[in-house]
Amino acid sequence: MKTAFRYILACATLLIALAPVYWLVTISLKREVDQFTYPPEWIGFTTTFQHYASAFRNGSFAHYFTNSVLLAALSTLAALVFGVPAAYGLARFEWPGRWSENIGNWILSTRMLPPIVTIVPLFLMLREARLLNSLFGLAIVYTAFNLPFVVWMMRGFFDEVPREIEEAAMLDGETRVGALLRIVLPLVKPGLAATAVFCLVVAWNEFLFALILTQTESAMTLPVGIASRVTQYEIRWGEMSAAGVVAMLPVLVFATAAQKYLVRGLSLGAVKG
Amino acid sequence: MKSRIPSGLPWVLPALLILVTLSIYPMIYSVKVSITDASGAFTLANFIRLFQDRLFGAAAVQTTVLTLVALVIEFVLGLALAVLIDSLARARSVFRAGLLVPMLLPPVVAAVAWRLIYNPQFGVLNGTLRRIGVNTAPLTWTSGENSALLSVILVDVWEWTPFLFLLLSAGLQAIPPEPIEAARIDGAGAWRIFRDVTLPLLKPTVLLALLLRAMDLVRIFDQIFILTQGGPGTATETVSLYIYRTAFRFSNFGYAAAMSFVLLAATIVFSRGLMRLMRAR
Repeated sequence: MKTAFRYILACATLLIALAPVYWLVTISLKREVDQFTYPPEWIGFTTTFQHYASAFRNGSFAHYFTNSVLLAALSTLAALVFGVPAAYGLARFEWPGRWSENIGNWILSTRMLPPIVTIVPLFLMLREARLLNSLFGLAIVYTAFNLPFVVWMMRGFFDEVPREIEEAAMLDGETRVGALLRIVLPLVKPGLAATAVFCLVVAWNEFLFALILTQTESAMTLPVGIASRVTQYEIRWGEMSAAGVVAMLPVLVFATAAQKYLVRGLSLGAVKG
Repeated sequence: MKSRIPSGLPWVLPALLILVTLSIYPMIYSVKVSITDASGAFTLANFIRLFQDRLFGAAAVQTTVLTLVALVIEFVLGLALAVLIDSLARARSVFRAGLLVPMLLPPVVAAVAWRLIYNPQFGVLNGTLRRIGVNTAPLTWTSGENSALLSVILVDVWEWTPFLFLLLSAGLQAIPPEPIEAARIDGAGAWRIFRDVTLPLLKPTVLLALLLRAMDLVRIFDQIFILTQGGPGTATETVSLYIYRTAFRFSNFGYAAAMSFVLLAATIVFSRGLMRLMRAR
């Protein structure tokens, strides 16, 4: 009896968690006349894909989508290229005193800066460098944003690989870089993949920097494109919901793939999960 | 023989340079912007204005209220949920995966969904409530002066309770079974065991989760920007939103920079606690 109550409670919570998302999906699939009927229709409405077509085929959302994909890929790649060697350097080399720990902490603390604190000077700097309204400019900012995360996470993964493995490889004539690329990286591949997924999701979901640093149609990302429609006087809810559904799908897929490392990533490596 | 330059430095240097250019230099730049006037002369006017600005005061109070209320609700619900799901024998991973969905969505998309839900005239929330016989006339949600902040908190609770649930549930699973077994053999009841054995063992995870969440709450922007734009009036204006408006609507970069240091100070308090905790592990 008590067990049944527990399951009912768990199901009710699950319903609350998913109902808003489900409602968004239904609005994206309903004809305009059915969207806001009373009583609200949760099931059994006529479905249509017209909003997806008008948002992505005729509207600009396909363009925003491409921008978001490029931006997430570019900034994640850059964060890994600079972050992985830094993590390796901190994890593996002799550092005097508490250098390694202090550098690590300092790197992490830059991640904790509230974005609104750095956005004013970044806006002015990018304006000076003529990198406002450019995907490239935004990618640089996202790289800096994800870099501390990569260093912190990857250092944790490197720490878990025994030093003897690469020392043996280096005795066999492997260089330091070769040992990292051919011996250590393959061993931490799942961790590397999870770290990359986290960077992708952060870049994909990010809103504030994108809102301020890209104000032209050509450089808009998906979240900014959606937001620019919400704040307009007349809102086309069908198109917006369709865009919203498309924006959330990749994140859900990626997060499910990296589920094993979710706790570790969200706690910045503090809970090994 | 050891050289004085640490041999690992070349590996770390590129990353350090990027962070100095894009995190530290902007901070210094920000200080400069906040203490110079239009002609470039030194001034403390922006910081003096902080103490006289009623709008900033209101935004600071609202941010504090929102942070504290949301944090308490999310913690209590998250812990209850972690214990509940942990006690289930089957389908645990299904519940876990489903419950995490709200926090994974792009915040903008979550906020759009809630605008659809909250709308007093055609929103599904009032529609459903009316359907079961509730008088929805007084339920104005985000468009009511008094209910707006609470409605925003509600969305945050929906979106981020999963975060506390996830971390606390990982913490629960990491607790060794022996002390709980021992307490049970000694005849302690379920509640006593939870309060005197489980909770103390869970404390480091609790602190970590609360600090991480608090740091994100004080800077809340995306959801409010979509849901209410800080309105009605200034009922849901937070510090981040007010800084945004000051800098990018009124082009007063100096004052915006000055305000952002208050937010930074709050974050430093949280992050120092966090660093200490992480080092202890």
